[in-house]
Amino acid sequence: MPLIALDAIHYSDKVEQFVEVSKSVGGNAVVLREGEDINVLIRSLYPDAGKSASNVPGIDAVINPDDVRTSQELNGISLGIVQGVFGVAENGCVWVVQNVKERSLYFISEYLVILIDKDQLVDNMHEAYKKVQFNDYGFGCFISGPSKTADIEQALVVGAHGAKGVTVILR
Amino acid sequence: MKKETHIHAAERFLSNKKNAEWHDETLWQTRTKRDRQAALIPEWEQLRELASKIKMHTITHLDRYLEQFATAAEKNGATVHWAKDAAEHNAIVLQILQQHEASKLVKSKSMLTEECNLNPFLFEKGIDVVESDLGERILQLMDIPPSHIVMPAIHIQREDVGKLFEEKLQTEKGNADPTYLTRAMRQCLREKFLASTVAMTGANFGIAETGDVVVCTNEANADMGTSSAKVHIVSMGIEKVIPSHDALSVFVRLLARSATGQPSTSYTSHYQKPQKGGELHIILVDNGRSDNLADKDHIQTLKCIRCGACMNTCPVYRRSGGYSYSYFIPGPIGINLGMLKDPKNYYTNLSACTLCFSCNSVCPVQVDLGNQIYKWRQGLNAIGKANRTKKVMSDGMRMMFQQSGVYHAAVKAAPLMNLMPRALIYCKANKWGIGREVPQFAKQSFTSWWKKEVQKR
Amino acid sequence: MGYRGKIGLFIPCYVNTVFPEVGIATYKLLTHLGIDVDYPVDQTCCGQPMANAGFEEKSVPLIHKFNELFDKYDYVVGPSASCVAFVKENHPHILEAHGQHACQMSGKIYEVCEFLHDIVKVEALPGAFPHKVSVHNSCHGVRELHLSSPSELHRPRYSKIKDLLSLKEGVEVFEPQRVDECCGFGGMFAVEEDAVSVQMGKDKLRNHMATGAEFVTGADSSCLMHMQGIARRENLPIQFIHVVEILVAGL
Repeated sequence: MPLIALDAIHYSDKVEQFVEVSKSVGGNAVVLREGEDINVLIRSLYPDAGKSASNVPGIDAVINPDDVRTSQELNGISLGIVQGVFGVAENGCVWVVQNVKERSLYFISEYLVILIDKDQLVDNMHEAYKKVQFNDYGFGCFISGPSKTADIEQALVVGAHGAKGVTVILR
Repeated sequence: MKKETHIHAAERFLSNKKNAEWHDETLWQTRTKRDRQAALIPEWEQLRELASKIKMHTITHLDRYLEQFATAAEKNGATVHWAKDAAEHNAIVLQILQQHEASKLVKSKSMLTEECNLNPFLFEKGIDVVESDLGERILQLMDIPPSHIVMPAIHIQREDVGKLFEEKLQTEKGNADPTYLTRAMRQCLREKFLASTVAMTGANFGIAETGDVVVCTNEANADMGTSSAKVHIVSMGIEKVIPSHDALSVFVRLLARSATGQPSTSYTSHYQKPQKGGELHIILVDNGRSDNLADKDHIQTLKCIRCGACMNTCPVYRRSGGYSYSYFIPGPIGINLGMLKDPKNYYTNLSACTLCFSCNSVCPVQVDLGNQIYKWRQGLNAIGKANRTKKVMSDGMRMMFQQSGVYHAAVKAAPLMNLMPRALIYCKANKWGIGREVPQFAKQSFTSWWKKEVQKR
Repeated sequence: MGYRGKIGLFIPCYVNTVFPEVGIATYKLLTHLGIDVDYPVDQTCCGQPMANAGFEEKSVPLIHKFNELFDKYDYVVGPSASCVAFVKENHPHILEAHGQHACQMSGKIYEVCEFLHDIVKVEALPGAFPHKVSVHNSCHGVRELHLSSPSELHRPRYSKIKDLLSLKEGVEVFEPQRVDECCGFGGMFAVEEDAVSVQMGKDKLRNHMATGAEFVTGADSSCLMHMQGIARRENLPIQFIHVVEILVAGL
């Protein structure tokens, strides 16, 4: 197997790069300010969010997605707030390893907020894959921005079958 | 069924000037987006080199890596099936559906399932197959094939999609806004996702070391289907296996940038284990791939990661469209894959190339696409498919060029051609003259100038 | 200047009969630069048309003839990127595929612009060419002979043709959009797939003309011939000239 020894891209400011790329792919990334309340931030980003779902400790949400019996019950969630593991500066990806009972939450929500620690950013995918680990659920996904399609005349439409908008909050 | 040759189909495609121009410009823009992304990565050419090396290493040790992959996947709780050909693949899919008494299958995009003709097979057996990728769904409802492997409906105008959705989805009359239409399909497919018990995806990569299958999408359709349904079937060509996540890191940096000019697809999903209470079936399909391993002239096509960059850069594909090719995959990779599948059937696609080598230069895994097309052309005579006119012309040229006397006589006589009447020069047999003026032969050739001006001195 | 030895001039068949002025310009420029130029009169063709059409075995006798005629020279120089590229890249493996001895040409055959840029290392040119020109970066020149950096690759941009033209007084150099997209000639492709070929040529011409240039110039008369044929049929106000003719202008 060929050795992967290359001088891959590094960024002087990973946070800045991550935020810039997230926006360029139709998503959003926000740094939680010192002393700022995360729930206040989320409410300001999604003031019209109806039914929200989260199992992350300390996050306000209408339902806990781990309480549902079937994945279909999550249909109608307008805002899912989930925990990610780390972000990748080169492409705005966040590694999300399944930590909710029904993985459909990541895709079925109309909007998605992904939380990561500000110091959990890597520069590129080589570094990212060194950190990738699975748990007993056996599912993980790199998510970069909202779902989208350009299948009709190459006109970009944000929001295909998954989230219509994604905000990554770095805290 | 004998299809129209590329030559005639392309001519027809070009006769709709507006569509042809739009098709060419839109695909060129995709090529440009790729260029912009590549320019942001200083190590881009090193990545391509590495990707090529990793693929060559893997396909030349394929049995080892497939064995490793199957073992790891089974340890994770997946069921691995081996399909020698399309028929076996389709039979396995049907068996799984029947075991679960499912009469519906929701699937995401897979060129392999196209190759195996899965959909018609399942329809015949009473299974309702729902394509969930927007482009594929549009084509399914129109009952027409894809014209590009990544942007399958690129040749369809929004007004036609609007009319289709009016009929099939009861959307507003006259509304052809892409966002409106996409939302309508979101709603419609959402119901189907929620009701599905068996979902199918393709596989962009299979990781030997850890046994997970990787699927890259922008729409989240693969994940909507597989997270709602309890049974997940993966159709994977055996050449999709790669050694490790380290290796994967090289490919995911190249794939979306090459295919659509995005730094990454919105979703890069890793399916490692079945869902709790569910099943994960991985069907490893050969269908001629292991035969290609033995062909040293064409083994490199097995490196292909199905990104479509070669199509976007190909000046001939852009001006002829996917339907001009008789194989279901068009463009430079399609010409080569068609010849590997059935040369006597698909050789007419070989004319669709100027040997400009732009495809070689964009391919993220450095497949020598143009060189292989050249090689296939050399092999046509041996299988009895050489173009008779070209053969006669080539023989004529060889005879003339071999004998300097004959050649020089021809050179001397050439200017006389200028004097021929226009009607004769531009007769039907002169294909050059259809769109161009014929060049004028110089009154004095270089040879005769040399003899007069240089040699005599 | 870098070189003053003896070279063999390779004049492709269509340059000989349709564009002899390109051969003459090549001879005059190389001679002016102090190079001893010989032209083996018995030369005919490098074998490219047959090989690209699928009959490379028919070029084998021509390859032998080529080797015999040009064996004695230090360098072989020709004003055609596609023909030179064919000799350099394809002669060796055609010989090998037909069980013949190794080809000697690859190391010493050069297209004239590459020769002037890399071997002679021209630093000054006489005369002037006070015109706007659009550079046609032909496929074999770019992707096989590396006359300029292919637009597909992430490489620092360079162009040997532009470097040479910059030495000529009065020339204003432009490049078209889609800087090295194929013009659609492709040898037999031009007659076999004539609809696509002509469309490609029309599109290329439109891009060249959009630069405001009076001339399209390049290292391949075959591409120029194809575009010229279309321009004449469509009555387009643009002229065509080989790079070497510009470099020797006023001499």
